Amino acid sequence: MPVRDFDLIQGTLDLLVLKCLSSGPNHGYAIASRIHQLSDDALRIEEGSLYPALYRMEEQGLIDSEWRMTENNRKAKFYKLTRKGRAAADAELDSWLRLSKAVTRVLRALEQGA
Amino acid sequence: MTLRAPRFVRRILAVFTWRTQDRDMDQEMGFHIENMTREYVRAGMSEADAARAARKQFGSVLRHKEAGHDTRSGHLDELVQDVKSGLRQLTGAPMFAVVAAITLALGIGVNAAVFAVVKSALLDALPYTDADRLVRVYGGARAQLQRGPLSAGTISDIRERQRSLASLSAFMDFAIDAVYGGDSGPQVARMAWVEHSFFDTLGVSAARGRVFRREDALSGLIPLTGGAFAPDAPSAVMLTHSGWTRLLGGDEAVLGRDVRVNGIPRHVIGVLPSNYVGPMGAVDFYFAFDLAPVRGNAIVVRGAQWLGGVGRVKPGVAHEVARDEIAAIWTDLVREYPADNRALGLATVPLHESMIGNTRTPLLVLMASAGLVLFITCANLAGALLSRALSRRKEFAVRAALGAGRGRLVRQLLTESIVLAVTGGVAGVVIASVTLDRLGSVAARTLPGYVTLSLDWGVVLVTGAIAIATGLLFGAAPAMSIERSQQSAVRDDSRGTSESRRSLRLRGGLVAGQMALCLSLLVGAGLLARSLWAMTGQSLGFEPDGVLTAAIQLPLRDYPTPQSRALFRTRLEEELRGLPGVTAVATATSIPTAVRQRSGVTLEGAPSGDAPTFVITTAVSDDYFRTLEIPLRQGRTFGAQDLPNTPTRLVISESMARRFWPDGNAIGQRVRLGPNAQAPLNEIVGIVGDVRNDQARPDAEPMAYMSTRQNGAPILTILVRAQGDPLALASPMEGAVANLDRGLALQRVMTMPVVLGEGIAGRRLPVLLMTGFGVLALLLASVGVYAMFASLAAAREREFGIRLALGSSPGAIAALVLRQGASWMAAGLAVGAFGIVLVVRLVSDLLYGVSPFDPITVGASIAILGTCAALALLVPVRRATRVDAAVALRAQ
Repeated sequence: MPVRDFDLIQGTLDLLVLKCLSSGPNHGYAIASRIHQLSDDALRIEEGSLYPALYRMEEQGLIDSEWRMTENNRKAKFYKLTRKGRAAADAELDSWLRLSKAVTRVLRALEQGA
Repeated sequence: MTLRAPRFVRRILAVFTWRTQDRDMDQEMGFHIENMTREYVRAGMSEADAARAARKQFGSVLRHKEAGHDTRSGHLDELVQDVKSGLRQLTGAPMFAVVAAITLALGIGVNAAVFAVVKSALLDALPYTDADRLVRVYGGARAQLQRGPLSAGTISDIRERQRSLASLSAFMDFAIDAVYGGDSGPQVARMAWVEHSFFDTLGVSAARGRVFRREDALSGLIPLTGGAFAPDAPSAVMLTHSGWTRLLGGDEAVLGRDVRVNGIPRHVIGVLPSNYVGPMGAVDFYFAFDLAPVRGNAIVVRGAQWLGGVGRVKPGVAHEVARDEIAAIWTDLVREYPADNRALGLATVPLHESMIGNTRTPLLVLMASAGLVLFITCANLAGALLSRALSRRKEFAVRAALGAGRGRLVRQLLTESIVLAVTGGVAGVVIASVTLDRLGSVAARTLPGYVTLSLDWGVVLVTGAIAIATGLLFGAAPAMSIERSQQSAVRDDSRGTSESRRSLRLRGGLVAGQMALCLSLLVGAGLLARSLWAMTGQSLGFEPDGVLTAAIQLPLRDYPTPQSRALFRTRLEEELRGLPGVTAVATATSIPTAVRQRSGVTLEGAPSGDAPTFVITTAVSDDYFRTLEIPLRQGRTFGAQDLPNTPTRLVISESMARRFWPDGNAIGQRVRLGPNAQAPLNEIVGIVGDVRNDQARPDAEPMAYMSTRQNGAPILTILVRAQGDPLALASPMEGAVANLDRGLALQRVMTMPVVLGEGIAGRRLPVLLMTGFGVLALLLASVGVYAMFASLAAAREREFGIRLALGSSPGAIAALVLRQGASWMAAGLAVGAFGIVLVVRLVSDLLYGVSPFDPITVGASIAILGTCAALALLVPVRRATRVDAAVALRAQ
């Protein structure tokens, strides 16, 4: 099966968000921090652009949101995966892995050939 | 899983919950930034640095929020904002808004009105069942390629031999006048004759009662030579809706009611639906006839061409198949009956096409002209909005700096122009409906009968589409202009910056485009006007001024013999001669320029197989030529010596004399008229000047006159020449007729010039409308040129000031502006040359007596347009030369 045709940056951000949420509901700031933390700050995104992505995924029915209290007793908007979102996370991960493996293989081969 | 409403519902809801969402986003993003700040502080930054770093890392809250709103509502919320902002912009500049809306309303209004007519005439189905399967079969002289009538024999033969038609019915191709004897005295009515199957073929059923059946068809009507018919006797009649309402006051109990038509009682069997229109035009009564006796008459069966044919193609059979089959049958008929059919042709065309007739080209020309006006309107408004957009550059630059994307700004501008266009569109629909109302009485006569002059939903929808397309079109120019120069605009004072090359080019293009469109339209209108001029300016061969005409129908019941009709005619002429101011009185079978009758001419001694040549024939009284001032060239006109029982005499026109006797020995020759080889010979006693029977043709057709003394038809056309206003004679004339017979009604009392005007009304109307469009276009283009240069000059005021300060003369400044204007206009005229070629191709069918690229028309159009544009330039140029250098520079 060919890799799904998507915009790399946007699609990647979506995948990261979905994977972050698969361990449980969380708010936008936590999602952003977690991505930074886990990538060792290698993935530097303009943090605000996370929100349009969240709204879009909510619009697509991949995630749901509700206002809740944080551990520090502050009001924040929490996002959680829907069933559709969970399925999408798996599918996107799958295609991402395939894509990156394929790209890696090509680059390796080219490197060795050269 | 939660239940979700369909996407578009959510989007619309999102528009209304915009505020809530906006607050939510503020809160959510605020929380995020707060957390980031706290983290930076923990890492050792100062409070202020941390806040700044957090904001920087987060990016523009405004932009992220906009993106959020966009995903939520699919830009619907912006649309609402933009519409609001558009309305605000317009109410902020009421003068501009009003002028723009009026311009648009005119542009869209004329398009809606013309489209309403075009749709009704060319696009809508005829008011018959499965109207697209109906065909019309035409006959007529082969050489003249006209859509003429058929003989009874031809129709019967085609009916028997063909296989592709479900039915074929004959009808009398024209309606004739009848006298309806109602409760309030005699009234003029129109009656037509059809075969009993006619309405079934058309697929029309009666609104009340029933349509004709076989037993209703009486066999009274047989065409006799000379255009006369045997007495009409059938008793069953059908009424059209208009006849029913006009003559019988819409009587509910009309079925079975006895009515008198031409003095004979008939009973009504049915009323046709209100949307019914017959192929023979407006009719009040229908009678059914039977062709069997005609087929039994050896002379008229194929010799008299007087019937129309309408057929219904069987389902599944293509029009072409039916056409080819009928053409093949006709080829056989020509071979079988060469004497009758050799000089004739036959054509089968879809009924819709046949009813559109020759109105298609004028309608398309009008539609194209209206389209040009709309394009000019677009260019005009595009220019105006462009000027506005340039003065709003700073606003856009600020908004762009605050995070509004370019797409968003372009969308906003387009929405503003669409708001304007829709406003104009609504007003345009109002204008269109008023126009159609006004046009109704004028246009109805020149359009096919089935055309309705009203706005329906289709027209309103198309108008809406036109309005939105218009808005996009003229909104595109200002939208394009904001693409660049945003960065600089914030820094610079917008007044100070010179215009970008790009927007200058755009302005130039708009001016040139308006000039080009306007020129094409002016040339088209000019050519049509010149054609009309040529048509009306050239002599018809008689003097129409001072002549009053009227018609009278003698009921055959009261005037059964030629003698009784001749007696009435003589007495009427005497009465009329006695009226004050009358200098000459004549009667004839038809009005000059409207003679329908054509007869085949066979020279004495010519072999019987020879195909006849057709000439126009009409019967006239002794004083006809004197009354109309048609000059006698040779021999004599009619007089007392032409008695009913002596050989028929003919007076012929010069062109007929030239056509048959080029040696000039026409007088004394004898010819036969009509198909009957045994008919008596007619002796030619005189030659008169040519009269053009068709005003739209430059040449006069050959014509032969008979004497009413020898050929007394029951229909009389009265022609009276009088001193002073001929219309003053109208009521004395009615009195004179009533003196002779109270049962007679004087019909269609008109002056001859009015008759002629009606004859070319179909050509006059498109000329008038197109000229109107041309004037409108000229006005719009002038205003456009003026506005464009006014704004250009205003924008360059500082530059002019500097130039003046540096020693430039006002003359040089004027030359600067003029040079720019002249180059744009020259470009417009050059492009206009292509437009002229296209327009000429479109109107070439309508031209008469003028060459397509008539230098006078083209030259005059260029001169008019140039003058108007130059005048429009004058004010801005004057203003530019009066710039006060000190003031202009201090304004910084």
